[in-house]
Amino acid sequence: MIQGRLFGSLSFRPNVAGLVTLTACVLAWEMAIRAGAIQYQYLPAPSAIAFGAGELIASGELLDATLHTLESVFLGWAAAVGAGLSLGLVLGSSPLLQRYTLATIEVLRPMPAIAFVPVALLLFGFSMETELTVIILPSLWPVLINTMGGLREVHARLSDVGRTFRLSHAAILCKVMLPASTPAIMVGARVSLTLALVLAVLAEMVGNPAGLGYAVIAQQQALRPDLMFVYVVVIGLLGLMLNVVLVGAASLCFPAAAAALKGRRL
Amino acid sequence: MPPSRGLLPLVVVLAAWQILAPGPSAYFPVPFEWWKAAVALWNSGQLLPASAATMTTFAEGLVLAIAIGGALGVAIGTWRPVGRALGPLLEFLRAIPPPVTVPIATLLLGYDVRMKLTVVALSALWPILLNTSSAAARIEPLLFDVARTFRLSTARWIAQIVIPSAVPSLLLGIRVALPLAIVVTLLVEMLTSLPGVGALMMQSQRNFQSAQVYALLVMVGLFGFLVNDLFAIVEAVVLRRWPPRGGFRPD
Repeated sequence: MIQGRLFGSLSFRPNVAGLVTLTACVLAWEMAIRAGAIQYQYLPAPSAIAFGAGELIASGELLDATLHTLESVFLGWAAAVGAGLSLGLVLGSSPLLQRYTLATIEVLRPMPAIAFVPVALLLFGFSMETELTVIILPSLWPVLINTMGGLREVHARLSDVGRTFRLSHAAILCKVMLPASTPAIMVGARVSLTLALVLAVLAEMVGNPAGLGYAVIAQQQALRPDLMFVYVVVIGLLGLMLNVVLVGAASLCFPAAAAALKGRRL
Repeated sequence: MPPSRGLLPLVVVLAAWQILAPGPSAYFPVPFEWWKAAVALWNSGQLLPASAATMTTFAEGLVLAIAIGGALGVAIGTWRPVGRALGPLLEFLRAIPPPVTVPIATLLLGYDVRMKLTVVALSALWPILLNTSSAAARIEPLLFDVARTFRLSTARWIAQIVIPSAVPSLLLGIRVALPLAIVVTLLVEMLTSLPGVGALMMQSQRNFQSAQVYALLVMVGLFGFLVNDLFAIVEAVVLRRWPPRGGFRPD
């Protein structure tokens, strides 16, 4: 057992057992339905889901829904990161402001995202604004908290370096503290992106009738479980893909900070 | 909990809204209206059963998730080959956002309380399961030697070393699962109109009773806040009994 640990990271060894298990599960599911062993009226076989996928791709519905969801995710996430970053920088560099705002943040943060849906629907009806409202507010928090935490953990000596060079407060913030807290901010941005996708799907299910979330509900109500599962799989794949893209983009722009991202996992 | 003077922005905004509002507004009722709507809801006898339904489902679902997630997590983490084999499958299932499981469950299980409980439990399960299994898999290497020295049986190994090591991660998983469980409970109620606060919120929104919508929003927010605080207390108590092991530090 100890020897296994001495071999370090196993990430380059293909997880054969894992892939085999996954394939075996899918095959077992298919066989069970064909043999009639499982008889759930609304549980489609993987082959039915695959055919459904072909149908949706051909009709262009899948692409439309995916693009809509991606658009709202990116808009909402960008707004959340912008707002969270700015607020985090302002609050993080001022202990006075922190004392007068942290309690409010602690009270507002646990607000369940879904509780905003009825309010947003009331104000904006069935529209993109509703979706964006639901996405932006809760996605803000991880970025804000991580930015503040990152600033707090910057080594005191670095700000001393800034003062030795007689930099102004703003210059110290931009040239020293901000680059030093980039890893923490990246982690916040990553959590925020995952959250934004979940919120977008959520908002589309109960708020704005467009996009992948709405498609899932629509197919469920139309009693087409095969098409519904296609959308479910696409949502799952989108989540995985967004993470990969973000880590990749971060590695290109901030190689050192991205190394911190790769080690994290919630 | 940070200094309470931090509540100043919130108080100021609410007070300003109340005082500066030009007149009755359909979409932006003043905070006093929210209070009146809340009282009206209570008096009409709708609030209590709805809150009870939501809170019971939330609590039951959470307990189920902790029990199953904890047990499965320890099992997956302890037996490494099982953990590696199930890895990609769990990764993919994890990538499916919890809200998406609601329509699936609705189709497969129907529109009843059993479906609601299943969905809440399933959604809360993932963070707990993943955190516990990763903690059980990353046990301090020295403890393996300790187990061998004392010739611990598998049962004692699990009870006396694996579980105490996994407790901090289990608590972290529960902390992540709490807001998830609240959101999914409310979502099920909104989508299926099963009795609960979520259904009440959608009903208020459809009837354009804006003060009621805001009042329910505040109540749900308060509930979320209280649950988090209560759990922080539970966490402090548990961690005092089973402190997290920070690794072996030879002095």
